[in-house]
Amino acid sequence: MKKKVLSLLMAGTMAASLLAGCGGGKDDAAANAGDAADAGAAGTEVQGEAANEEAPKNPVTLKTVSMFGGTDPNKVAYEAINASLKEEYDYITIEDNSQTSDEEWKAAVNADFSVGNEPDVIQFFTDATADTIVATDKLVTINEIWAEYPEYAGDTLESALAAAANTDGVMRAVPTTGYWEGLFCNKDLFDQYNLELPTDWESLTTAITTFKENGVIPIACSLNNVPHYWIEFLMLYSAGVDEYTSVPETAPEGWVKGLSLFQTLREMGAFPEDTDTVDDAYIGQLFRDKKAAMQLDGSWYSGNIEDVENTVVIAFPGVPEQKAEAGSLVGGISSGFYITRKAWDDPDKRDAAVKFVMAHTCQAGVQQYWEAGGAVAQAAVEVTPVEGASPFAQSIAEYTSAASAIVAPTDSRIGDAYKTLVSEIVKVSTGAMTAEDAINEALALIK
Amino acid sequence: MLYRKKWPLLIFLVPGLLFMLMFLYLPFVENIKNSFYDMNAVVKMPGTEWDFIGLENYKKLFTDTDVRVALINSLKMMIVTVIFEVGIAFVLAVLVSQIKRGQQLFRTVFFFPVVISATAIGLMFSLFYNYNGGMLNQILAYFGKDPVLWLSPERAFTMLAIPTVWSYIGFYFVILLTGLSDIPDDIYEAAAIDGCGKFKQVFYITLPMMKTVFFTSVTLAVTGALKVFDLPWVIAPNGAPQGLTHFLGTYMYQQTYGLNNYDYGSTLAVLIVILGVAVSRCIGFLTEEKDEKSKRK
Amino acid sequence: MKKVSASKVIIYLILIIWAVTTIFPFLWILNNSFKPSAEVLRSSFLLPQEFTLENYQTAFGRLNVLNAYKQSFLISGTVTVGVMVLSSMMAFGLSRYRFKGKKFVHSLIVASLMFPVFATIIPVYRMIVSWGLLSKNIAVILPQIAGNLSFATIVMLGFIQSISVEMEEAAYMEGANVFRVFGQIIVPLCRPSLATVAIFSFLWSYNDLFVQKVMMRDNTKYPVCRLLEEISSQYGTDFGLMAASVTIIVVPVMIVYILLQKNIIKGLTAGAIKG
Repeated sequence: MKKKVLSLLMAGTMAASLLAGCGGGKDDAAANAGDAADAGAAGTEVQGEAANEEAPKNPVTLKTVSMFGGTDPNKVAYEAINASLKEEYDYITIEDNSQTSDEEWKAAVNADFSVGNEPDVIQFFTDATADTIVATDKLVTINEIWAEYPEYAGDTLESALAAAANTDGVMRAVPTTGYWEGLFCNKDLFDQYNLELPTDWESLTTAITTFKENGVIPIACSLNNVPHYWIEFLMLYSAGVDEYTSVPETAPEGWVKGLSLFQTLREMGAFPEDTDTVDDAYIGQLFRDKKAAMQLDGSWYSGNIEDVENTVVIAFPGVPEQKAEAGSLVGGISSGFYITRKAWDDPDKRDAAVKFVMAHTCQAGVQQYWEAGGAVAQAAVEVTPVEGASPFAQSIAEYTSAASAIVAPTDSRIGDAYKTLVSEIVKVSTGAMTAEDAINEALALIK
Repeated sequence: MLYRKKWPLLIFLVPGLLFMLMFLYLPFVENIKNSFYDMNAVVKMPGTEWDFIGLENYKKLFTDTDVRVALINSLKMMIVTVIFEVGIAFVLAVLVSQIKRGQQLFRTVFFFPVVISATAIGLMFSLFYNYNGGMLNQILAYFGKDPVLWLSPERAFTMLAIPTVWSYIGFYFVILLTGLSDIPDDIYEAAAIDGCGKFKQVFYITLPMMKTVFFTSVTLAVTGALKVFDLPWVIAPNGAPQGLTHFLGTYMYQQTYGLNNYDYGSTLAVLIVILGVAVSRCIGFLTEEKDEKSKRK
Repeated sequence: MKKVSASKVIIYLILIIWAVTTIFPFLWILNNSFKPSAEVLRSSFLLPQEFTLENYQTAFGRLNVLNAYKQSFLISGTVTVGVMVLSSMMAFGLSRYRFKGKKFVHSLIVASLMFPVFATIIPVYRMIVSWGLLSKNIAVILPQIAGNLSFATIVMLGFIQSISVEMEEAAYMEGANVFRVFGQIIVPLCRPSLATVAIFSFLWSYNDLFVQKVMMRDNTKYPVCRLLEEISSQYGTDFGLMAASVTIIVVPVMIVYILLQKNIIKGLTAGAIKG
C-alpha cells in the first residue's frame, strides 16, 4: 500500500513539472509550474509541490545522443528545447553528443551499447536498424515507464506511438515527426512542354520521352547512390501492399516485376547519362537547377526546394498493370526518443530522463520540430497549421491527406539485407543481373 | 663490438613492437576470428550470439564476381603505381637534383598534392569529370564538341588511376630525392672526368646506389595500391560505374560500412593483408642480395 | 656550352609543367572558396564574379574552428613526436643488432603496412572504451602512432643502414655506451629522414578523418577534419562552403610543411657531409 501512495505522489510531482516543461515552449508564456498546478485538479499536485520543496533535487548529468547533428534543421529545435529545459531545471546538466546519422555512427552506437557506454537518452531509429540495440535489452519499454509516469508520451498520437514500435512490436520510443516519400516535379518544365503532371504509367512514359527529346533529364536519380525511392515505389505499385509488406524467402513475382522496370526506364533514357557515377546531392542540384523534371524523394528533401512557386509534390504515377491503389504512399515514423536501462535504474536520472523526453515529445516540442522541418512532415502529435502555405506546401498537404495507404519502406522490414539489394540496382538496370537474382541475393542475408 | 651486448636491443625494440601488437596485430587476429562467424553487428551485443560459419566467407571469395573485379583492379593499380608513381617521381627527382636555381621551390611545390587530404582531391577531380558542366566538358563545349561521359565503363579505371598516381608522386619524389642526396658528389665528378655522360651516370651510378631507397618506395607503392581507398571512393563510390571500379580497399569498406556485412568485410581484410605480405615478399627477393652485403659490413 | 643550356631549358620546362599541375588545385580551391555554390558548378575556373567571404563566415560562425586547430595540433604533434622516437629506436635496433628472429620482426613491420585502418578499428575502439579513454585525445593518438610506426620504421631503417658503423665504433672505443651512440651520433645524422617521418606522421594524423570520427565523440573536442566533415556531410552540394572548408583544413598543414621543409634541407646537407 505504501508503495502505491509513493508512486502516486511521484506521479503528481511529475505531472506538475511536465506541464511546466511543456508550457515553457508555448507562446502564451504565462504557463509556469505554479499556474499549471493551480489549474490542475488540486490534490496530488499540491502534495507534489510540497515534495518538491522538501527534497531539493540532486544535481543530475544526463548523457544524451540524437541524430539531430550537423546542419539538420531539427538541430536548432533540439538545442532550443534542451536550453529551455536546462533553464527550467537548474539541477539538470545535459551532456549532448548528437551527430548526423551515417554508417560509422550507427556502428559506433552499436559498439557503445555492447560495451556499456550507452547514453541515458537516445533518439534513434525504431525500425530494423534498431534491432541490434533492442536485442541488448537496454532500452526501457513505454509500458514500464507508464507504470510510474502515466503522463509519459501523453500528447503523442496513439497511431504514431504504435508506428514507432520496434520490429518485435514492443513500444520503447516516443516519436516526434515522421516522413513521407513522393514525386517532386518541376511544374514549370511540364508547362513548357505542354505536359500534364503524370497520373499513371502511360502519362509518365509520355513525359519521359518528351523531356528526353527536348534535352531535359526526365528523372533525377542516382542509381549508384540512392535508388531507394524508386525501388520502394516500383515494388509497392507492382506488388500491391500485401506482397510488398511481406518478408518473403525467395523473390516474389511483384517485386521482380517492379525492379525489372529499372531496365525499362533506363532504356527509355529516363535517368541522367551519368546516373551510374554521380551522388544524390548532385542529382538534387540537377533537379533544383531545372535540368531535370522529376525527382522521387522524401519529406527531408523539401527543405532544399527554393522555388516553392513552381515545384509540386504528387503521388507516384504508377506502373503497368499496377496492383496497389493509386495514391498509396511510402512513409511512416521511424525514429524516436528512448530511455536506457542505465538511466532508468538510477533514481536521480530516471526522473530527469523522463523530463527530457517529455520536453522533446510533448505538443510544444513536436510543434517546434515540425515547423523547423518546414511544416511538411507527419507529426506525432496534433500540430497547429502554419499560416500562408506556398503552392509547394499546399501540394504536399494535398498529397499526404489524399493518401489511400501509408506503408513503411522495405528496409524497415528486411534491415541490412536491403543495402545489398540497393547495391545491385545498377546491374539490374543495365541487364547485367536479373531482378530476381538481386532480390534473392538480398533475401538470403535475412536470418 | 659495440653491439655485442644484446640487452639494449630490448629497450629499442619493445616499446614500438608493443604498440604494433596492441593496436594492429591483436585487433587483426580478432578480425581473422570474426571472419569465421556470422556477425550481426560490429561487436557482439549482450544477449546475442554469432553463428559459427566456418569457411563460408572464404568460399564466397571465390564465387563473388566483384572480388574478382576488385582483385584485378588492385593488381592493375599496383603495376600502374610502381611504373608511373615511382617512375615519374624518380625522373623528377633526378631532374631537380640536376639544377641549382629554384630547386627548393620545386621541392616545396611538388609535395603540395600530398598535403591536401584525399577527400578534397577526390572532390576536385569529380568536378573535373562531371558530365554536366564539369571542367573537361566545359573545355570540350568551348571547342564545339559533344560532352563526354568521362566515367564511362571503358574509361573509369584510367580516370581513377590518374588522380591516384598524380597525388602521390610528390611523396616518392621526396623519398627518392633524400636517397639521391646521399650519393656523394665526388662519385659523379669522378665519372664525369672518365667521360661518363649525365644520362649514363643515372644508369650506372644513381640507380644501383639507390637500391634500398627503391625497395622502400616500391614496397610502399605496392602496399599503398592495395589499400587505395579514399580517392576512388570519393570519385566513384560503390565501384561506380556498374561495379567495374571496385578495389580491394573500397570493396571491403563497402561490405563493412555500406552493406554491414562485417564478417565478409573482415575476410576481405584478411585477403588484403595476405596479398600484401606475399607481394612485398616478392619484392624482397629482388633485394635479398643487397641485404646480405650490408650485413657483412 | 650551348647544348648544356638547351638541356637545362628542357629540364626547367618539365619541372614547371609538373609544378603547374600541383599548384593548380590549390588555386582552384582557394578561388572557389570565395564563390557561392551555384557559381562553382557553373564556372569553377573563372575568378569570382562577386568576391564573397560568406563561406568563411558560415564556417567560422557555426563552428569553433580555433579550438579544433588547437586539438589537431595537440593530437598530431604528439603522434609525430611519438612516431619519431619509437621508429628511430626500432630502426636502430634492427639495423645494428644481429639476433634470432630479426627477419621475423622485420617482416612483421612490413606486414603491418598492409593493415587498412578500417580493418582494425573496431577491436581498437572496444579497447579504448574499456580503458575509459573515449573522446580523450589519447584515444586518437595511440592508434595513429601504431598506424604510422611501420612506415616510419622502414624509412628510418633504410637510412640508418646506409650509415657506416665506423663512427660508432670509434665512439665506443672512447667509452660511449649504446644509448649515447644512439642519441649523439645516430639521431643527429638521421635528421633528413626524421624530418621526412615527421612530415608524414603529422600529415596522415591530421588528415585521418576515419580514426577521428570513431574515437572523438564529444563535439567540443573535435579536431579540424572531423569538425569540417560535419559541414560537408550535410552541405555536400554547397561546393563554395566545401572549398572554404578545404582551405581551412589545408592552410595549417601547409604552414607546418613549409616550416619543416627548411629542416629537411638542413638535414639533407648534414646527410651529404656524412657521405
